[in-house]
Amino acid sequence: MKSLFSIVASAAVLLSGNAFAGSSDTKVALVPGGPHPYFAAWERAGQDAVKDFGLGKADYKVPAEWDLSQQNELIESLVGKGYNAVLVFPGDAVGTNKILGELDDAGIPTAALAGCVEQPTKAKMCFGTDTGHSAYLGTKQLIDAMGGKGKIAHFTGFLVDPNTTLRIKAVEKAVSEAGGGVEIIQVIADIDAYEPADEKINAFMAAQGGEVDGIVTTAWVPAVVAAQALTNMGDKRIKMVGIDHDEVVLTAIKAGFVHGTMLQNPYGQGYIGSYAMDKIRGGCTFKVDAPWKSTAQTDQFIDSGTVFVDITDVDTYVDAMRGISLEILETFEGDFLDC
Amino acid sequence: MNMTVAAIFKKDWLGLLIVVLVSGLVIAAVKPAFLSPFNLYVLMVSTSYMLIIALAQMIIIAIGQMNLSVGAIGGLVAISFSGLMEVHQISVPVAVLSGLVIGIACGFLNGYITVKSGISAFIITLATLYIFKGINLGITEAEPFYNIPENVKNFGNAKIGNTPIPFLLIIPIIITILMWVFINRTETGRHMLAYGNSVQSAELMGISSSKVVITAHIISGFLAAIAGMLVVCRLQLGTPNIGDSWLLPSFAAPVIGGAILAGGKVDVIATALGVLIVAIISQALVIFKIDPFFVQIFLGVMILLAVFVNRYREYKQEVRRKIFSSE
Amino acid sequence: MNKKLPNFIFTNQFGLLFLVLIFIVIFSTVTDGFTSRFNIFALSRVIAIDIMIGLAMMVVILTGGLNLALGAIGVCAAMFGGWCMEVLGIPIVPALLLTLGMGSLLGLVNGIITVKTGVHSFIVTLATMSIYFGFMTMLTEAEAFRRLPDLFTDFGSAKLFNKYVSPLLLVSVATCFILFYLFRFTDIGRKLIAAGANPEAAEVSGISVSRMFIYCHALSGFLGALAAILLTTRIGAAIPSMAGQLGMDWLLPAFLAPVIGGTLLSGGKLSVFGTMLGAVLVTLLTNGLYLLDVGEFWIRFFLGIILLLAVLLDRAREYLTLKNVIVS
Repeated sequence: MKSLFSIVASAAVLLSGNAFAGSSDTKVALVPGGPHPYFAAWERAGQDAVKDFGLGKADYKVPAEWDLSQQNELIESLVGKGYNAVLVFPGDAVGTNKILGELDDAGIPTAALAGCVEQPTKAKMCFGTDTGHSAYLGTKQLIDAMGGKGKIAHFTGFLVDPNTTLRIKAVEKAVSEAGGGVEIIQVIADIDAYEPADEKINAFMAAQGGEVDGIVTTAWVPAVVAAQALTNMGDKRIKMVGIDHDEVVLTAIKAGFVHGTMLQNPYGQGYIGSYAMDKIRGGCTFKVDAPWKSTAQTDQFIDSGTVFVDITDVDTYVDAMRGISLEILETFEGDFLDC
Repeated sequence: MNMTVAAIFKKDWLGLLIVVLVSGLVIAAVKPAFLSPFNLYVLMVSTSYMLIIALAQMIIIAIGQMNLSVGAIGGLVAISFSGLMEVHQISVPVAVLSGLVIGIACGFLNGYITVKSGISAFIITLATLYIFKGINLGITEAEPFYNIPENVKNFGNAKIGNTPIPFLLIIPIIITILMWVFINRTETGRHMLAYGNSVQSAELMGISSSKVVITAHIISGFLAAIAGMLVVCRLQLGTPNIGDSWLLPSFAAPVIGGAILAGGKVDVIATALGVLIVAIISQALVIFKIDPFFVQIFLGVMILLAVFVNRYREYKQEVRRKIFSSE
Repeated sequence: MNKKLPNFIFTNQFGLLFLVLIFIVIFSTVTDGFTSRFNIFALSRVIAIDIMIGLAMMVVILTGGLNLALGAIGVCAAMFGGWCMEVLGIPIVPALLLTLGMGSLLGLVNGIITVKTGVHSFIVTLATMSIYFGFMTMLTEAEAFRRLPDLFTDFGSAKLFNKYVSPLLLVSVATCFILFYLFRFTDIGRKLIAAGANPEAAEVSGISVSRMFIYCHALSGFLGALAAILLTTRIGAAIPSMAGQLGMDWLLPAFLAPVIGGTLLSGGKLSVFGTMLGAVLVTLLTNGLYLLDVGEFWIRFFLGIILLLAVLLDRAREYLTLKNVIVS
């Protein structure tokens, strides 16, 4: 009920006009680390931000490959074209800091979305899923579904993704808190692309499928491939908790092959991120004593929200995420900004 | 046709077959699950498209050249195939045909430019690798095509009856047989080997360089296209990254199978066994939970070993020839 | 009429210089932002690194071979250097020397294997590419070295000439001059070229072709390590993915620059300044395409077309030279 009320209240505020009016001078660039379905929501988020906040531009620009140099070159050329605020998924947790520093020298505000850069940094904030926490919660859900004991496997993403190590550690933490009944028998990383994921996950299922009781996936592509594998095998014995909202995963949840998934909020990240950058350009600054969260990488973390959905609420996940986004938006300025 | 026992023993592929059987048995002894129907199925699936990819490179090695754009052609066809079906609602057979046409066109481009300009195929296919990959990325903007028709998806997953043999394996096996016949029994095939052996001798014999080179590249493109479409069936979506990981394995298998990079000597069956060896090793690494990074090192070492062995054999042959010719 | 114009007008290098100037003019007028300080500075850095990568490949192309392992060598050397600086605490200058040494060593291995086995360097470096990269990834566990000395990383952001130019560019240009001198005016340089141009003749005249080729590979490794050092200062950290998977991201600039610049793939002919101009041209074009909103996904396509055109033009020039239409 609370979220419904929030949606209505926020809608009323938005409709009432200039509560969130922004500057049409502001040109935001939303730059992921490389091509990946997770960031697709940023495009829509940017467009909506332009509409709702009156920004000049909020464009989604993707480097052709997951390569730090290419991302840097893309950002540099975007600045050359006149973009004056940059939201970025760091190509590397430290490597990206260099270019953020240079943008700061040029008077351009930046923020990290969906993945953080290590401090010290010139990024104004890191706005993303607490990926460690999300992996932790997901693993706990999995352990519950397994009845508190068994063997699990963890499939995760690129090793160069700053989030991957956090996720690996979080899964280990959840397992260690399960009182000894749960064991991680294998971690397969670097499979956030379809061909290697298909090869490795199927090889795993073939070799260890009989021994494993649960699977936790903390990256988009492995989640899809593992969900597909379980569906194709017709296996409902192995419990799985996935991540994100790919159709394949959601369908598998509805069919009972996958126990549930940890949703992230890419839309909210792009939407509110653009809003925040515009405010900064308008002269606001971040409060020093704002209710920041701390993660392993940064002390300036804002949670964009994560939620576990299973078969009972998988159909309404979109509303769940939008609700969280609007909730955050409503209180963002008051909580975090000095204007 | 000497099919005496001695002749069989001289064949390249016997040694490889032994390696396959021995390694398979060793792994199965340690992990019986290796021989389980599901594991054999997974093994056969990854072998299926790798076989075609290896043959696509092998035919170019036969003429003494290299095709760096194999993966790029595969990827381009993969997204075209899935894109046509998803966006333009094209029927499956027409989409397949279109994919094949694109593969042939890409191969033709490679072959034609190589022959007409006289520039090494390495550089030409390096350029076309970027061109084809570029078109791929330009069309898809790095987003996959998700909506593949159901029957295509099923083809990617089905097995033959109750056996663990995947449907996906049928086409590669047919192609392997056809390629064997082509290289060993047709005139064009033998011309290609002659050309690979020595361009001047081939031309003196009246073999048309253009015909040989262009035909080889067209076949290479055609095979890359088939592989790309098979991968789409398997993954059940068309992603622009298809083909990115093909370069190393496409060389590893033929080289392990005894191919000489200078051209003129390739063996279809040995290449097929080479594919199987690489697949078994990749699987074994997952089974034994070996560091995935080790796969890279392993493939590299395998290639070097295979090349050394081939070189050594070549050297021995040359020595033998010198001894005999000086008598 | 042709005979009256200076020969050098028809050289590849002049053509390149001309193209570079034309594109600078076009992009400056058509796009806004091309001439901005930020853009030119960014360009100077990318050009610096691409020149170095191109030079590294150029010295192997001289032998008629290829060095696919260039990126892998670069990354290995840089990670080694990062390890030295961060974990062993070795001061910057010795650490850099060790880095260059590692690069040369890896290149040396490539050279030795190629020469001793007679196997084409394509396959040797295809194999060593995975071996080097695999070992590096295993030893570092894909972890980057991020706490490098500030003095080192500041070099990458330093700005000269009224904030327009990066000192990285000076390093690359200096290297160009040194290499030019090496190949044009020193004995060893001329031997290297002779070995590449006609190995049989060179052998007959007393040059040890094997040794020359090994030197070329070692030099390639050295330059690759230097390129990686420049890249590391630019990024500010030594990260394993700096050159892409297996180091393959370096392949396009590595070939594009020398080939556009007039270095022949068959070996025996190189052009240091051609390579430099080639790198400049490619970077300019890429930057211009970005600024023109061509769409970042089509950049690859254009680069491939450029490479193709470059080699075809080169061929055409060779052909016309033979026909005495152009004076070479």
